[in-house]
Amino acid sequence: MRDLLSQRMFFLFGLLVAVGILGAFLSPHFLKASTAAYVLQYVPVLGVLGMAQTLVMLSGGPGIDLSVGATLSLVSLAVAGLYGIGVPLLAACLIGLLVGGLLGAANGFLVCVLKVPSLMATLATMFVFSGLALALTGGSPIGGIPDWFGVLSQGRFLGIPIHMWTIFVPLAVVLHIFLTQTRPGSHIHASGNDERAAFLSGVKVWRLRFGLYCLSGVLAGLAAIMTLSWFQAARPDAGKGMELLSVTIAVLGGTHIFGGTGKILGTVLAVLIVTTLQAALQLANISQAWQLAAIGVLLIGSVMADDAVAARLRTRVRRPA
Amino acid sequence: MGSAATNASPTASRPYRIGREMLLFGALLLLVGFFSIYSDAFLSQRNLTTVLRNSVDLGVICAGMTIIIIMGGIDVSVGGIVAVSAVLIGRAFQLDLPVIWVVLIGLASGALLGLINGLIIARSRVPPIVATLGTMYIFIAVLFLVIGGVWISGLPGTLSFLVLGSIAGFPVGLFVIAGVYLACWLLLRRTPWGQHVVAIGCDEVAARLVGIRVDRTKVQAYALLGLLGGLAAVLYVARLRNVEVNIGTNIALEAVAAVILGGANIRGGVGSLLGSLLGVLFIKVTQNGLVLIGISSLWEPVVIGGLLIGVLILDTIETRRTG
Repeated sequence: MRDLLSQRMFFLFGLLVAVGILGAFLSPHFLKASTAAYVLQYVPVLGVLGMAQTLVMLSGGPGIDLSVGATLSLVSLAVAGLYGIGVPLLAACLIGLLVGGLLGAANGFLVCVLKVPSLMATLATMFVFSGLALALTGGSPIGGIPDWFGVLSQGRFLGIPIHMWTIFVPLAVVLHIFLTQTRPGSHIHASGNDERAAFLSGVKVWRLRFGLYCLSGVLAGLAAIMTLSWFQAARPDAGKGMELLSVTIAVLGGTHIFGGTGKILGTVLAVLIVTTLQAALQLANISQAWQLAAIGVLLIGSVMADDAVAARLRTRVRRPA
Repeated sequence: MGSAATNASPTASRPYRIGREMLLFGALLLLVGFFSIYSDAFLSQRNLTTVLRNSVDLGVICAGMTIIIIMGGIDVSVGGIVAVSAVLIGRAFQLDLPVIWVVLIGLASGALLGLINGLIIARSRVPPIVATLGTMYIFIAVLFLVIGGVWISGLPGTLSFLVLGSIAGFPVGLFVIAGVYLACWLLLRRTPWGQHVVAIGCDEVAARLVGIRVDRTKVQAYALLGLLGGLAAVLYVARLRNVEVNIGTNIALEAVAAVILGGANIRGGVGSLLGSLLGVLFIKVTQNGLVLIGISSLWEPVVIGGLLIGVLILDTIETRRTG
C-alpha cells in the first residue's frame, strides 16, 4: 500500500507541473511572480478544509464530514457577531474555534456515539448549520471587521500571503508529523485499515474518531477566521460548496474514501493543483465551466488510475516469484 | 466496509418499515394540523394544489433515489442531470421542435447521463459518492456551456398541462406521481430485477456469488434514476417555463433527505417507496407552511435538518432495541 501511495505522490507532483505548463501555454501572464501570490491566496482556506476532510476520512468508518462548509459559515458569523457586541476580536476568534469544535462534537456525537452513518449525520448537520447561518442573519452579511485584522489573509511577506506562512504551512507540517510519527497517528491509520483489528489491539477507535470530528470542526473554524480576515465581513453562505470541494481535494490527494490510506502531502499537492488550475483558466479567460469539468474528470480519473495501479500491484504479488 | 452484516433481512424489517410509514404519515398530519391552525390559507384547495405541484419533480426523482439507496448506492449528481436535461429541453423549445421531441430529448438526455454514472460505478471500482460527485461537476460544466450564463425564459406553455392541468378534478401531477411510483414499486417488489437490487444492497459479494449480474443491475438502476431525472426536468420546465443558471443545486441533498426520512437505510437493503413519497410531501409541506405562517423560508433547512437528525436518532435506538 505504501508503494502505491508514494506512486500517487509522484503522479500528483507530475500533474501539478503539467497544470503549470498548461497555464504557461494558456496565458502569457501565468509565469509572472504575481501569479504565485494570486494562487496561494486561495490555498489556505481550501487546504485547511481539505486537511480536515483527510483526517476524518483516514480514520475510516467510513468517515466523511459534509458539514465543514456550513461550519465555516456559522463560525465566521459567530466571530463577527461577537465582535459586533463588543467582545475583543482575538477573544472572539478563540471562541469561534471553540464553537467550531462544539459543532464538530455534535457530528462526533451522532457518528461515534449514536453510530449514525457519517454521510447521513453530517448531511443533516450541514442542513442545520447552513440553515442557522442564513436564518439567524436573515441572509445578510455582518461587516465591520477592522483593517488590522485583514493583514492575516491580505498581507504578504516575501510575496507570499501571510496566512500561508502562519497557518497553512505550519499546520500541514504539524499534521504530517502527527500522522506519520506519533502513536495516535498510527492509530488513525489502523482504525481506517481494519477497524476490528485496531479495536482488538486496544485502539479506542470510536473515541479517536470523535476527536477527529471535533478537530475537523476546529479546522473549519480556523478556515472561517481566514475568510473573515480576507473579506473583512462574514457572509452566511461563505462556505457554500466547500464541503464537496474539500472531499474532492482529499480524494484527489490519494486519501481513500473508506479510510486507511492517505497523506497530508497528497492533500497539499491536490489543493495546489486545483487552485493552480483555477488560476490558469481564469487568467486565460476560459469559462468557469471548464474548471468544473476539469475538477470532475480529475476526481474520477485519479481514483480510476489508483485502482488500475492497485490491481496491477496485486497481480504482481499473487504471481509466485 | 463490512457493514452489510448489520442489515436486517427484508422480511425481518418488514413490520418496522410499515411502522415508519405510519409514523411519518402521522407526523405529516400533525404538521398539516399545525399549519392550518396558524394560517387560514394553508388548507385551501388552491394552496394544497400548489404544494402538490411543487412536489412533483422532487417526488419523481425520489422514486429513483429510493431504488439506488436500497441498492446501497447514492447519486449526488441527480441535480446536475436535471439541470442538463432542463437546459436541453429549453434549447429544443427554442428550436421550435415538436413537443414530443422536446420531451424525448429530456428523457433521453437524463437516461444517458444516468447510464454514464452507472457505467463509471459498475465498470471501475470508484465508490458511488466519489463517481457521482465527479460527474456532478462535469454535468454542471455542461449546463454552463449550453446555457452560457443567461437564463432561458419565456418558453411556450405547451407542456404546462402536465403540471397545471387536471383530470376528473385531480391535478395531472397526481397521476404522474402515481404512475411513476406504481411502476417503480412493481419493478422493485414484483420482479426478479427488484429482488436483485435488494440483494445487492444487502450483500453485494453474496449477490455476485449467487449469480446476480451485479454490474448490469447497477447500470440499469442508475440509468433509471437518470431517466426519472429527465422526467423531473420536463415537469420542471413545464411548471416554471424557464431554466435558471443555478437549477438543481439542492435537489440531490433534498432527495437523499426525503428518502432517508422515508425509512431507507443509507447502508442499503432497506427502503420504502411510499415512505420516500411521504418524505417528499413532508419537506414540501414544511417549505410551504413556514412561509404561510410568516416564518422566513430561511429556517426551512434548519427544520428539515433537525427532523433528519431526530429520525436518525430514532432509527439507531430502534435498531439497538431490536438488536
